Amino acid sequence: MHYPWWYVPFLTSPMLIAAVAVIHVYVSMYAVGGGLFLAVETQYAHRSGNRDYLSYLKSHAWFFILLTVVFGAITGVGIWWTIGLASPLATEMLIHAFVFGWAIEYVFFVLEIAAAFAFYYFWDRLEPTVHQIIGWIYGISAWISLVLITAITGFMLNSGAWPENPTFWVGFFNPQFLPQTIARTGGALLLASLYVYLHAALSRGDKDPELLKLISRRSTRPGLLGAILITVGGAWWFVALPSSAQAALMVASALNIFMVLIFSVTVVVFAMLYLGPYRNPGWITPGFAILLFAFGLAAVGTGEFVREAVRKPYIVNRVVYSNQILPEELATLRESGYLEGGTWTHAYVSEHYPQVVDGAGQIDEAALLDLPEADRLEVGAVLYQYHCNDCHAVEDGYTPVGQLTRGWTPEMVRLLVENPEKAHFFMPPFAGTPEEAELLTEYLLSISKPFPVDLLTTADAE
Amino acid sequence: MFVGPDNPLGYPAPYWFLVLFKVLGFTLHMVPMHLWYAGLISMLLLRATGGEQAKRLSQRLVNALPLVIAMGINLGIVPLLFTQVAYYKAFYPATILMAWPWFSVIALLMVAYYGVYIYVIGLRKGELSLLRGASGWVAALMFVIIGFWFANSFSLMTNVGAWGALWEANSFAGAATGTALNTADATLWPRWLMMFGLALTTSAAYVVVDTGFFAGGESEDYKRWALGMAFRLYTLGIIWFGATGSWYIFGALAAENRALLLSMPALILTALTALAPGLPWLLILTGRGGVTRGRALLTGLAQFGVLAVNAVSRQILQNAELAPFMDVTAEPVSVQWSPMILFLVLFVVGLGVVAWIISQVVKASQQPAAS
Repeated sequence: MHYPWWYVPFLTSPMLIAAVAVIHVYVSMYAVGGGLFLAVETQYAHRSGNRDYLSYLKSHAWFFILLTVVFGAITGVGIWWTIGLASPLATEMLIHAFVFGWAIEYVFFVLEIAAAFAFYYFWDRLEPTVHQIIGWIYGISAWISLVLITAITGFMLNSGAWPENPTFWVGFFNPQFLPQTIARTGGALLLASLYVYLHAALSRGDKDPELLKLISRRSTRPGLLGAILITVGGAWWFVALPSSAQAALMVASALNIFMVLIFSVTVVVFAMLYLGPYRNPGWITPGFAILLFAFGLAAVGTGEFVREAVRKPYIVNRVVYSNQILPEELATLRESGYLEGGTWTHAYVSEHYPQVVDGAGQIDEAALLDLPEADRLEVGAVLYQYHCNDCHAVEDGYTPVGQLTRGWTPEMVRLLVENPEKAHFFMPPFAGTPEEAELLTEYLLSISKPFPVDLLTTADAE
Repeated sequence: MFVGPDNPLGYPAPYWFLVLFKVLGFTLHMVPMHLWYAGLISMLLLRATGGEQAKRLSQRLVNALPLVIAMGINLGIVPLLFTQVAYYKAFYPATILMAWPWFSVIALLMVAYYGVYIYVIGLRKGELSLLRGASGWVAALMFVIIGFWFANSFSLMTNVGAWGALWEANSFAGAATGTALNTADATLWPRWLMMFGLALTTSAAYVVVDTGFFAGGESEDYKRWALGMAFRLYTLGIIWFGATGSWYIFGALAAENRALLLSMPALILTALTALAPGLPWLLILTGRGGVTRGRALLTGLAQFGVLAVNAVSRQILQNAELAPFMDVTAEPVSVQWSPMILFLVLFVVGLGVVAWIISQVVKASQQPAAS
């Protein structure tokens, strides 16, 4: 509304955020857990004088840098890119609220990069104590960056008292901060173990069974701890959800399934870790490692998806609605019109239909209904793009309204348009005038698909 | 018409603070960015066409790129962050109008970075196969395209008057399809090329710094040759920068903005921006026979000054171009004191830790590898 809306056919542009974010999390969590793992294990290897283990850790550090410093860093920037394109108002609000949180995170990013390269490239040249300190500088910096970004993602899910008292620290220490920090730390540790198994199984093979056993045994502990932290943090996360998000979890069948999936997969991974590499370190084979890794990705990816999905009707809890409207704008928009209040919608109407704009530059809402039918549908399409396309594709694709309204009568559509939040509490309220509701209704009816023929009853046919 | 309302929270810090970090961050970002932007392609050309010394120089610079790129990406976050705080009304619309090219930066950067790694691994192993060699060229091409997208987005940011037509031509039911480009803007092409010229000068200055500080193990012949090449590269960069800069100011810039840059007090800065590269050029010219660490450091600092002056000029021009549409200095401010102070403290501490890591690395680099 304040910005042009980016139309991405079929998918909707916000789904690009979800795609980039989930891919990023797979690597960024490893960047944290793997960093802590390397710090702890390098210290252990130096102290125990195990040259073979040190040599393995060096090869793992190379794999770690190639994955985290390149793929992790670029997809991290990719999230920035994507949220600015697909959710600009929410990004604007978050950046104004938390710019110094991000700036501090950047300081730790620089520390991570400097430490990671020194840690790997000067592996055999640094004094062992200095080498270990640099490993810890990396691990701690990476974990602090996790804490910082988790505060912001936690805020997006439950802004706590911030809307009433909009200060940095009130937003930072939101009700979701601690549970998400615990769960994500757990996820980072768990993924680190799984990445180590994968790397060790594929790179070491059966070259040195004793070393492989040592790697398995040593790397299982963070994974087991991680699974416990995910469970504890996840349970607390649920308790600390706003009631709307809890309700969303209950009502959406897909989210229900995902929640069961997260916990069951976490339990399965815990059992596989304990019975596998912890009790029987020789079990680590490429197949077993790949299976474990896939389970881990499933748990983490599903968790991230659920975290994103339950925020509705907000994109930032009680701060920005999922369709890029501030709650405090609602009353004005309902009175003077969504098209009038939106910078780009107003520009569109002024340019295309100057006959409905009065001398003061205001859109005459009643005059919109006097437009020819094709123009009314066009204005309805504009309303749909800006008001609905955040969450719904048009006729095909991601939750398309054309399919969801199959066979609906005009009265049913109109009722939904005027009261979306009453039909589905996870939808934002309609932010327009009755005239705009009429235009949107006409447009939705024009894209609505017919009721499936095989479900028509005799009475319908008559 | 297309400029949205003020953010209800206001700026979290005074405007001068935001713009200071924006300009400082951009200057810091330019140093590594120039090395991958013009440095990589120059070194690939040197390797393809030059002799033994050229190959050696090429290997030295390209070998440093994995770290340089990592640092450059991170340093790029800073100006982007502060741009989004203070220039959100211009930044978001411009990037959304060209959303697909802008979004593609992520994929292009990924290909480029891994391409550099593949190339560097081949170099280090001494096995530069056709595929590995090609990956270096692909990376260089990707970086040049990324530069073009950036020139598009940041020129479109200030080309507010063109938003409406671009939106009309690239929209579906009033929503942007994200396929617009600012190619009709006369400033785009010289702006894009000007940065490449400046990047050539930074790459040349880097060669001097590398020769002065890190090429202890190289022969005297190599050092002399590298310094001579640095001079030629810098000279080419200056000519390129001068030509495209003149095209930009006299052939592309709107008359009122040209008048601003060429009248007092901005004229002093404009002159400084144009003449500043002369100082490192002179230092390189007079140091072709051999370079001490002091001279290398001076050359590096002088080049940093060139970039800083350039960044300040760009900032002043950006504000002037936006002035008819928005006053970025006049938004309400609600300072977040404690997070700001915490950031500054951690920034200083962070610099200290990085300095300590570098000191340990320098110390370690004088030791032979343990294994």
